Amino acid sequence: MELLLGLIGVVAVFALVRSFLPARTLPAGAALGAVAVALLAYDYRELVGLEFWSGLIGFVAIMSALMVVIHPNPMVSVLFLILNLFCIALFFLILDAQFLAVIQVIIYAGAIMVLFVFVVMLLNLKTEEGLRLGGGPQRSGAIVLGAAFAALMFYAIRNRGEAPYFDPGPSGPGFGTARDLGGLLFTRYQFAFEAASILLIAAMIGAVVLAKRKLR
Amino acid sequence: MRVEFFLLMGALLFTIGCVGVLVRRNAIVILMCIELMLNAVNLTFAAFAHENQSMAGQVFVFFVMTVAAAEAAVGLAIVIALFRRRRTTDVEDASLMRW
Repeated sequence: MELLLGLIGVVAVFALVRSFLPARTLPAGAALGAVAVALLAYDYRELVGLEFWSGLIGFVAIMSALMVVIHPNPMVSVLFLILNLFCIALFFLILDAQFLAVIQVIIYAGAIMVLFVFVVMLLNLKTEEGLRLGGGPQRSGAIVLGAAFAALMFYAIRNRGEAPYFDPGPSGPGFGTARDLGGLLFTRYQFAFEAASILLIAAMIGAVVLAKRKLR
Repeated sequence: MRVEFFLLMGALLFTIGCVGVLVRRNAIVILMCIELMLNAVNLTFAAFAHENQSMAGQVFVFFVMTVAAAEAAVGLAIVIALFRRRRTTDVEDASLMRW
């Protein structure tokens, strides 16, 4: 299984590198390869467990996140971000958060990303000239600080203690369903829920005012 | 399934989003990278909610999504207003209030 994962990694990295070249057929080829690998994994689904699927989803999530950052065309960035959001929705499913997975797809990948796609199309953006990497000291400083940040996070995750106890709320067979979440939202988190509605109204009015050509 | 995997995944995604915010110049892509970071935090919340069998983490994810929607709407409106004035979405060109 490690061999297969390594093979997928090599193929995906190769496709990633090649997709910067103008050839249009290579992303389609990479997608076909991914489908083939998924079918292969489906054939051996008795052998592969949740770990395999989590690893595969995680790999796709990391790669799509990297593509969001790397790719010079904003439209491609949006599409890879949608792929990333779908991967996170699958993670939510693995983590017993069914309702969150559903609203992740409907609200994030549906509503918010449509807004992004709409603005990118509306402004008809060209690809940008280059990344804002700056001169030598800025770049090396960014690399050092980024590595330090990542090392700190890994250290914190490795050496974390037991989570402090707090009132766990309802759990059991209904964990993560819309029923449980809704029950909490309308009882214990009532005030936050109302505040969120005010926030949404304010954001809506603010967006209209900002995007309007001239007031009145 | 160990919770560390999801925590590491959240940390990696957050780092990638953070690098994106610092490195990219297009304001829309910067907003997308912020969404990436918010999603990484959401994943961490869901992982801890699963580990502690507590719905509080999932409720928090719900509110983070609400805030993300509001932030995206206002941010994109600002980008449109900026584009209307300056014909660009490059954050390097929006330097009027810079120190």
